[in-house]
Amino acid sequence: MPEMKKIYLVILLIVIAVAAIGLGYYWYYQVYIKPKEVIVLGTIDKITVLDPAKAYDFFTWEVLNNIGEGLLKYKPGTTELVPGLAESYEVREGGRVYIFKLRKGLKFTDGTPLDAEVVKWSIERQMHLKLDPSWLVTAFVEKVEVIDKYTVAFHLKRPIAYFPALVATVPYFPVSPKAYPWDEAKDSTVGIGPYKVVKWVRDVELRLEVNPDYYGPKPKTKYFIIKFYKDATALKMALEAGEIDIAWRELLPTDIVALKKEGKFNVVEAPSPYIRYIVLRCNQPPFDDVRLRRAIAAAIDRNRICEKVFKGLVTPLYSMVPMGMWSHIDAFKDEYGERNLELARELLREAGFSEDNKFKVELWYTPTHYGTTEADVAALIKESLEETGMIKVELKSAEWATYAAEYIAKGVMPIFLLGWYPDYIDPDNYLTPFLHSEHCGHLGVFYSNSDVDELLEEAMIKPTREERQALYEEVQRILARDAPLIPIFQGRLFLVCKRNIKGVVLDPIMLLRYYLIYKD
Amino acid sequence: MLKAYLIKRALMTIPTMLILLTIIFLIMRVLPGDPVAAIVGTKAPPEVIQSVTRRLGLDQPYHIQYINYLSDLLRGDLGRSMIWGRRPVIDEIMDHFPATLELSISAFMVSILIGIITGTEAARKFRSKFDQVLRFYGILTYSLFIPWFGIMLQLIFSVYLKLLPVGGRIDPFMEPEKITGLYLLDSILTLNIPSFFNALSHLVLPSITLGVYISGVFTRTVRSNMLEVLRKDYITAARARGIPENVVVYRHALKNAFIPILTMMGLQFALLLAGAVLTETTFSWPGMGTFLLERIMYRDYTTVQGTVVFIALLIVSISLLVDIMYAYLDPRIRFR
Repeated sequence: MPEMKKIYLVILLIVIAVAAIGLGYYWYYQVYIKPKEVIVLGTIDKITVLDPAKAYDFFTWEVLNNIGEGLLKYKPGTTELVPGLAESYEVREGGRVYIFKLRKGLKFTDGTPLDAEVVKWSIERQMHLKLDPSWLVTAFVEKVEVIDKYTVAFHLKRPIAYFPALVATVPYFPVSPKAYPWDEAKDSTVGIGPYKVVKWVRDVELRLEVNPDYYGPKPKTKYFIIKFYKDATALKMALEAGEIDIAWRELLPTDIVALKKEGKFNVVEAPSPYIRYIVLRCNQPPFDDVRLRRAIAAAIDRNRICEKVFKGLVTPLYSMVPMGMWSHIDAFKDEYGERNLELARELLREAGFSEDNKFKVELWYTPTHYGTTEADVAALIKESLEETGMIKVELKSAEWATYAAEYIAKGVMPIFLLGWYPDYIDPDNYLTPFLHSEHCGHLGVFYSNSDVDELLEEAMIKPTREERQALYEEVQRILARDAPLIPIFQGRLFLVCKRNIKGVVLDPIMLLRYYLIYKD
Repeated sequence: MLKAYLIKRALMTIPTMLILLTIIFLIMRVLPGDPVAAIVGTKAPPEVIQSVTRRLGLDQPYHIQYINYLSDLLRGDLGRSMIWGRRPVIDEIMDHFPATLELSISAFMVSILIGIITGTEAARKFRSKFDQVLRFYGILTYSLFIPWFGIMLQLIFSVYLKLLPVGGRIDPFMEPEKITGLYLLDSILTLNIPSFFNALSHLVLPSITLGVYISGVFTRTVRSNMLEVLRKDYITAARARGIPENVVVYRHALKNAFIPILTMMGLQFALLLAGAVLTETTFSWPGMGTFLLERIMYRDYTTVQGTVVFIALLIVSISLLVDIMYAYLDPRIRFR
């Protein structure tokens, strides 16, 4: 046999042997090392900072809700608030003071006991740091007072009807003073929730294990692992290859449709209060002219976006308050119909534009933060606006870090796309941050209407839902008339998992409770 | 003579590094985006913005920032990340570098193996159909779109055949005890055989993707150098002596054709280390490429600068090493 052939043969044999042993081991560990006590969830989302004083994004809040807990929490599957770290609370002084009784004997995973001093320290740290989510505390809370070791009082700036819902949000979560510094945000894996972090490699893997010191029912799965993927294609392949049990946030609409059709996996879906909308910079030309804002609102073709880009998986939205939430009315539909090109043209003509003298505008979007569909959404908005024959749209994009942290606040973009996940489940969270003149600049809206401010402030303190509902409906009608924001669509939640995965609860809170999920 | 050459060669790297450091310093500050805004967000009051700006030293004029930056570097201090807990940059780099190094070494081995065999065989069968096919292969790999090729491999071997994992470096619970951060090596050192094969199974597809992509360069370089060497008199003489063709080609010719290939190997390896971003992204590989990209988006000045310096130093060191080997293999070089 010639020498070369011998070499080739030896190489081939080595490769085959290595491959066989490797695949054998791989198969063995795929089958035996992933027992029922491990669930792997894949996502393309990211954790920003594991600090309730800094985190202000959906996914980090979800993780913090599984490794931490608030004084109150939502009962899974409902919007009903139930005791969390506090066993009870009472309201005094006409809604200006909330007194919470803490559960006794609780401790963080670093051994620090939970008491009223820790709660006070955590809230005061939020107020001191003044980072992104702190407004959820500083806008409402005047001070926190320790009454005794396990009793803490929140003194509010004014009565707030929905304060219990705020207390359930992440910025109100108590944190261990040993694990977090007073004067800066920090990543820490110390918590007090149903799970504790045992391993975290940023953007690679987060490994959670049952927290033996948690006061409540133990999670149903010992280890809950989150694997981070770079894009939706990789996520889908990981699901199909069996590497992950759950694909969450999120697969492409086309993939979800295909997976539903195939029927190999469970596709769990639920209505979501997640909304997408357009912001118009209404304190500067050209959108300080309400006719132009109304023209854009009339020309948008929501149905086309929902059908073409999202294959009908999302629903056209005609108010900032999402469908299914009390006080929602189809304000934009009442004002403009589903779409009204004639009205749009008329308004543009009134504003001095024509087919020969087109209204030129830059439409901004961010290419990845809201998924890879965003460029298509922007393109269809451009298309629908240009169908008036009197608008010329130039599409522009910027990465999220620049878009959010710089361009929005500085009012660089005349018209741009944004999305909103609720901080707390109340219509106030869909109206006040966007329309109250004191707050809306943070979201790039720069809208100022004293009537709206008054209505929102009044709604905030009215004790009954009926009284508040009338006020919020009025705000929505003004919103549609003035159009500083234009709602586009409301999302749905989709979670795709293996057939043996049970206990998935998708509810309006939108945060997945890992501790309820198990393998059958 | 060799010593003088090496000193001269080492000194030449200083201006290169200085230019690179200056460029990266300026680029980071010219790009839109603000690290302070990334840290404090959009709602922070002015006093918080000012305090963070001061703490990061960004309130200083650019020339002072530049001097501080260079003096820190001279002391070997790459600084601390501006975001997420302000970890030392070197720690951040060391979290990601072993992944890139492991992928680079393994992809490099794949590319060398393919490149040498295909290049040599093409030269041997000069102008045959086989040669034409391999020449086409050389061009094809050059124009290969990594994400597409990677996804095809994932679809075939992971999704349909379920033989290899889609992405990542290792399965949960399979990590070997950390010694070097290179999973294959660590699992051998700790005699953790299951970890070794698990890590190996994760390494196969990204290595093939990246290895095939750069193998075309080697195929072409090996082929052209071999063609030249195979025409030399000593090869004809060796053949005339009746030495078997395989021995002539692989022992005598390849060895002599190897010097220019070595330079190419050094450069290619350095480029691989700089981060095969597309491969890392396709295979969710937690290496330097994706890390750097992410930090650029957050305008984490110190981490980006530190990482670029680290990569530049690596490239310069490898290039120096290649030059030394080159001078060693070909004594004429050192006199130039």
